[in-house]
Amino acid sequence: MSINQPANPGVDGRLGPDEPVKYKGPGPATGLDSPLRKAVYKLRRDRWGMLGLAIVIVYALIALGVVLGLWGQDWSSTAGPRWAGISAEHWLGTNLIGQDIFNRALYSTRTAFEIGLVVAILSTLLGALLGALSGFYAGTWIDEIILWKKGVLDAIPFYLFVAAVAFALEGNAWAMHIAMIATFWTITARLVRGEVIKLKNLEFVEAATAIGASRMVTLFRHILPNTLHILLVQGTIVFVSAIKSEVILSFLGLGVQEGTSWGLMISESTQEVLSGQFMNFIVASTMMFILVMAFNLFSDSLQDALDPKKVH
Amino acid sequence: MNSTRPHILFSGLAVIAMVLAGCSDPASRGDPDQKVYRHSMDGSATSVDPVQASTVYANFMVNNAYDTLYRYKYLERPYALTPNLARDMPEISDDGLTYTFRLRPGVHYVDDEAFPDGQGREVVASDLVFSLMRHFDPEQLSQGAWLWQGRIEGLNDWGEEAAEARDAGEQPDYDAEIPGLQALDDHTLQIRLTRPYPQLTYTLAQGFSALVPPEAVDHHGRRGLQRHAVGSGPFQLVSFTPQRAVFVANEDFRDDPVDLEYEGYDEEVHGEFGLEAIDGRSPPFIDRLEIDQIEETSARWNSFTAGNEIQYSTVPAEQAESVLTSTDPVEVDARYADDYFWRASPEAGFVYMNFNLDDPAIGYHEDPDQDRANHALRCAIRKAFDWESRNDRFYQGLGDVYPGVIPPMVDGFNPDFPDDSIRRDMDAARALLEEHGWTEDNLPEIQYGAVSSVTDRQMFEQFRGWLEELGFPGDKVRMRTFANFGDLNRAIRQGQIMSFNIGWGLDFPDAENTLQLYYGPNEAPGSNSANMKNDEFDRLYDESAVMQPGPDRNEIYNRMNEIIVDECANISALTRTRIEMWHQDLIMQPDREILGGFFVRFVDLIDDGQGGEPE
Repeated sequence: MSINQPANPGVDGRLGPDEPVKYKGPGPATGLDSPLRKAVYKLRRDRWGMLGLAIVIVYALIALGVVLGLWGQDWSSTAGPRWAGISAEHWLGTNLIGQDIFNRALYSTRTAFEIGLVVAILSTLLGALLGALSGFYAGTWIDEIILWKKGVLDAIPFYLFVAAVAFALEGNAWAMHIAMIATFWTITARLVRGEVIKLKNLEFVEAATAIGASRMVTLFRHILPNTLHILLVQGTIVFVSAIKSEVILSFLGLGVQEGTSWGLMISESTQEVLSGQFMNFIVASTMMFILVMAFNLFSDSLQDALDPKKVH
Repeated sequence: MNSTRPHILFSGLAVIAMVLAGCSDPASRGDPDQKVYRHSMDGSATSVDPVQASTVYANFMVNNAYDTLYRYKYLERPYALTPNLARDMPEISDDGLTYTFRLRPGVHYVDDEAFPDGQGREVVASDLVFSLMRHFDPEQLSQGAWLWQGRIEGLNDWGEEAAEARDAGEQPDYDAEIPGLQALDDHTLQIRLTRPYPQLTYTLAQGFSALVPPEAVDHHGRRGLQRHAVGSGPFQLVSFTPQRAVFVANEDFRDDPVDLEYEGYDEEVHGEFGLEAIDGRSPPFIDRLEIDQIEETSARWNSFTAGNEIQYSTVPAEQAESVLTSTDPVEVDARYADDYFWRASPEAGFVYMNFNLDDPAIGYHEDPDQDRANHALRCAIRKAFDWESRNDRFYQGLGDVYPGVIPPMVDGFNPDFPDDSIRRDMDAARALLEEHGWTEDNLPEIQYGAVSSVTDRQMFEQFRGWLEELGFPGDKVRMRTFANFGDLNRAIRQGQIMSFNIGWGLDFPDAENTLQLYYGPNEAPGSNSANMKNDEFDRLYDESAVMQPGPDRNEIYNRMNEIIVDECANISALTRTRIEMWHQDLIMQPDREILGGFFVRFVDLIDDGQGGEPE
């Protein structure tokens, strides 16, 4: 049986002579084609965005150093004096039980990145998967179920939901992650669904269908890659949301169970400020504020760069 | 048409104003002729039903709404019992097994719809019989049955019959005759014990033993009585939520003039509080009692210092540095001492840490060698525990640290008890681990149960820091958090927690009440949350339980205390010092310890024409 090679230059043509036709080529907007190069160019010219990215990279290096055991390892030591001031030994002083605030702030950076990355990656993947399915099968029972699930989750107040999950999992260290992933995917899914509904009627999808590409291949090889700009921007937004939520949840006693975090430091400070001790509050708030601000700058810049309407 | 709109608007506003006015409680709007005392507590009572008065907060409510046969004298220390609803102290037979109580005649319950004509009837001895029987009826979910468990002839048997009846969907027979619990007439009650129980009279001063009329249980039910009180106490409950309770004076409260000298008045100690003003007068002296339950310490302190909100507060730990100028002796800064009365006193209880000896990783083990190693591990952890630092960081250095579980305020405390168990000795601790083959690799994971709060977390982190110094890897010391103390307590009672920090408040001023925390038969879900089982200890407990106070009993108590220390069943103990403050227009000396809420009936306000003007 002979077959004609499809016109698309991405087809590798490694099909066996008796195999049915399977279209495996990428869609029209993948690879380092022109729009992506333009986006990178535009991103690099955005000074605020680059400043945000630089700050995020510094924080990431701090977190990496903690993971590699280079610094922040004595965060739990209680050897210091109570509420010591700034000194060569304790750069940012100590808390009530003599723990070094500088070390705790460094370790908390790792906590923030760990939570941000885990939640951003998993919730974005989940949102992409369910959003793509929902959009591709719009109007069918699959779409109905996913929309219903999104509606239900969106209707539950987030902090109540986290409290319920934490209670159900009996203090499990991953309760907060699970709750965030279970709720943060809905916005990503809604955006991806809309984009997929738009994309599935375009010519390149019809072409893929016409030459025999299966539904799953069409969806995951041709349509979904074209939502990458949404996923990238949404990933950064979820990353920031996860960090902020962790701080709030830890402050409420529902968050970090092992280790320490900026939220726990701010929570400690509620009992310290009345005694005139502000370092826990100042250090944790400042560290969180700078990272969130930097991520927002970068996220805005990324959104502008990847917006097809703005790529000229 | 337009001209009618202002009228409609005005009418609407008028209606809203009238509705709002109608909804508010007139008394809360501040009748200048009323004397209002606004008390605050640092925790919540979840019920006002005497069968569930297991916390100091619930007791506070119950003691003011209901009557108990006995109470503690207002000012005398050490705490001394005095008749309350009882006419006098009980008559006790020579063998210590039969107690006869005589009730005051003419005491009435408050008016309530539970009574046929809405008028409170007279309190009678059979009400106490009924109230104690309730504790043994499983439907009532009593938290105080342990006080009389196996002590009163026939009461446990009736409890079993009640359980069977409930299982069969029937009502227990509250009219059944119980041999050891009989109302001889309306004003005489006789209790026959199965064995001597010298603490019996103390139990009849606890909220658990408050008299509840059967009509109230029939009418309001168990659930209803969690929020509604039908008692004969000095105050009548108007409204109750876990955040706020409001009482008004019981206008029909019995005539019972205060004899200040009898109550323990000492000019040198109490002179500045103006208490002479109540001598010879019959309580209650205030018209209205409002209790705000404010757990957040800064909110409570801000409300107290606002001047026109709550009138009583303890000094929060985080405020101690700014309020105190000295901790030994306690001295209050003039900024506060000029504006408020204050008092520093030790709590009737202590804080301590228990190991769960039923956990084979740290407790008893069937292999004798492992059992000895576990014992050494517990003792090493105790030696690594730094009481001085714990006291300094969390109790402003005001706590009193002592070995064992017999606090200084009770008879039986031995000031010469060896203090090795409260002295930190890291070298000895490490040597003990090495001697028994413990290494970083084979040390067990230590699980520490605590409530999810800042203070509990910091206490855990301090404890983990000490264990890291001892040689534990940080990830082998883990905290298991619970949303509230109730959940933690439930897990402890189910033996699910390996170690935990906890406090114990004395129910009565007798060391028996703390030693029973390690009595084998009281193991979880009972009060022996360490699940200690020591034959000698249990034998001595049984022996001392029937003895009257005295040197012989104290000698046994001392030996029991030694056994607890030798078992390394816990890390104990520290008695906290509370600093209480109250506004200077109040005539009172508050005391939340064993006295519970009994002091409120003696509270008065200086009549300056301002009344109790609320915020």
